[in-house]
Amino acid sequence: MLELANVTVQFGGLSAVKDVSLRMGSDEMVGLVGPNGAGKTTLFNVISGLVKPIHGRVLFDGVDVMHEPDYKRARLGLGRTFQIPQPMHELTVRENLVVAQRFGAGRVDAARIDEILELLQLTEQAGRDAATGLALQELKRLEVAKALATEPKLLLLDEVLAGLETQGKRLFMEKLREVHARYRIGILIIEHDIETISSLCPRVVVLDFGQIIADGTPQQVFNDPAVIRSYTGVEHA
Amino acid sequence: MAELILQALYSGLLNGGVYALMAIGLALSFGTMRVINLAHGELVLLAAYMAYVVESRLDLSPLAAIPLAMAVACAGSALVYLLVARIRKNRELNSLMLSFAIGIIITNAVLLIWSGDIHSTGSVSLQEAVQLGSLYSMRSELYGFLASLVLVTLLWQWLAKSWYGRAVRAVSSQRDAAKLMGINPAKTELISFLVAGLLAGCAGVALYSSSVIQPSLGHALTVKAFIITVLAGVGSVPGVLAASVLLGITEALTVTLWSSAVQELAGMLLFLLVLFVLPNGLFGAARRRA
Ligand SMILES: Nc1ncnc2c1ncn2[C@@H]1O[C@H](COP(=O)(O)OP(=O)(O)OP(=O)(O)O)[C@@H](O)[C@H]1O
Ligand SMILES: [Mg+2]
Repeated sequence: MLELANVTVQFGGLSAVKDVSLRMGSDEMVGLVGPNGAGKTTLFNVISGLVKPIHGRVLFDGVDVMHEPDYKRARLGLGRTFQIPQPMHELTVRENLVVAQRFGAGRVDAARIDEILELLQLTEQAGRDAATGLALQELKRLEVAKALATEPKLLLLDEVLAGLETQGKRLFMEKLREVHARYRIGILIIEHDIETISSLCPRVVVLDFGQIIADGTPQQVFNDPAVIRSYTGVEHA
Repeated sequence: MAELILQALYSGLLNGGVYALMAIGLALSFGTMRVINLAHGELVLLAAYMAYVVESRLDLSPLAAIPLAMAVACAGSALVYLLVARIRKNRELNSLMLSFAIGIIITNAVLLIWSGDIHSTGSVSLQEAVQLGSLYSMRSELYGFLASLVLVTLLWQWLAKSWYGRAVRAVSSQRDAAKLMGINPAKTELISFLVAGLLAGCAGVALYSSSVIQPSLGHALTVKAFIITVLAGVGSVPGVLAASVLLGITEALTVTLWSSAVQELAGMLLFLLVLFVLPNGLFGAARRRA
């Protein structure tokens, strides 16, 4: 239900994304990996409407959303988190979710908000100021919670697992599996760690220098010579 | 002496209330759009002239001009918004020039239509002295202050409880994230400018009812609203209210203890002090992190 067709993004002289085509279904959990600067976040920006590609199309649920502004895409069911958490710091944690639900999903359902808070272990923090009252881990969970509150059909997660220690990571991965299963939504997740992504996603897409260089099971992808080259190339750079 | 100082504190407090009406509007529109409306004070002035017109032409109380003043200031504010929204390049900078120009146009239009004469209300009842203990004010000053408190409280509630009030706070917090929550940023910005216009309309009527107006006043009002916004450190309604009262009191004390010639200077000094000593504003330190 998400389809990218020949998407190309240019920043001045730099092609951040080059002719990317990708399809994913609404029941999928897909990992998007690639070295720093590969264009992963830019691709998310194209899908959510924050960046206009110079070429290519984005289809969502069979509808061409290229001419829909960012906020309408959110209402259509594209949920998204930011690599650097962006809490609404003038609102409380709960208000963040309530506002996201009202404007993103077009309805008000306190029970569902409670459920999301519970799921992401933010119930205790619900009344706190989103700017000053939260630790980094909590902010990352708030990012996911906010996106979920818009009741998306597809969730784009930008490095929500980065920076968590092993135990925290494991817990968060559990949460993501639960989210995927409970709300039956597609998840496209950016993550650097190969082990993490392999255990979480049956399908992995590798981006390098703005291009897709591999797409398949973690097994296939991480044994692909091109992928190994791009990964080790970065490691030694 | 102590009595004079007490009286100055009281007058400053009352004035501060009206300042808050102007400053909150400026802060709101800045919050959502990251644009300083340099014509904001001129909109307040225009509203004040509406009160003058209603009083002098229709022989009504200036208070009867409130709906008209609100409508005119709202329309002006919306116009500023629509023009600023059309700026595609370098909006932060170019909007300064644009709104500054609109301010000059308003000032000159006022001058052309109503001449450079100073005006003040002829209403005896508004100018009547009201005593509170040993403190005095004009009835209009007290009305203005009370009206401000009511409006500021309403606005605070609106920001806290209504959907678009929350949207205003969300867009002010994180624009991109707010959009991806489904909030229409343009609509939210327009609403913040309209609310700013409503408040500016009331501030204008209060101004005319309790002091003298003349075409060049708009500019000084913009500066005051700007100073208050910086003092408050953006973000909270109580913060802006407190900063407004602080400016009002500082001005009144300066006039009492020194001279009315340096009243405007006092605000500027306060501004510089906060800028260099408390760069996040008096109340902004804890709230703004990003
Ligand atoms: N707004 C922008 N203007 C100019 N260049 C940009 C912009 N956004 C991203 N870039 C550039 O585009 C390239 C891709 O960036 P992007 O953030 O998409 O990479 P990424 O794969 O998400 O990397 P990371 O793993 O570090 O998050 C980089 O070279 C980056 O510097
Ligand atoms: Mg990135």
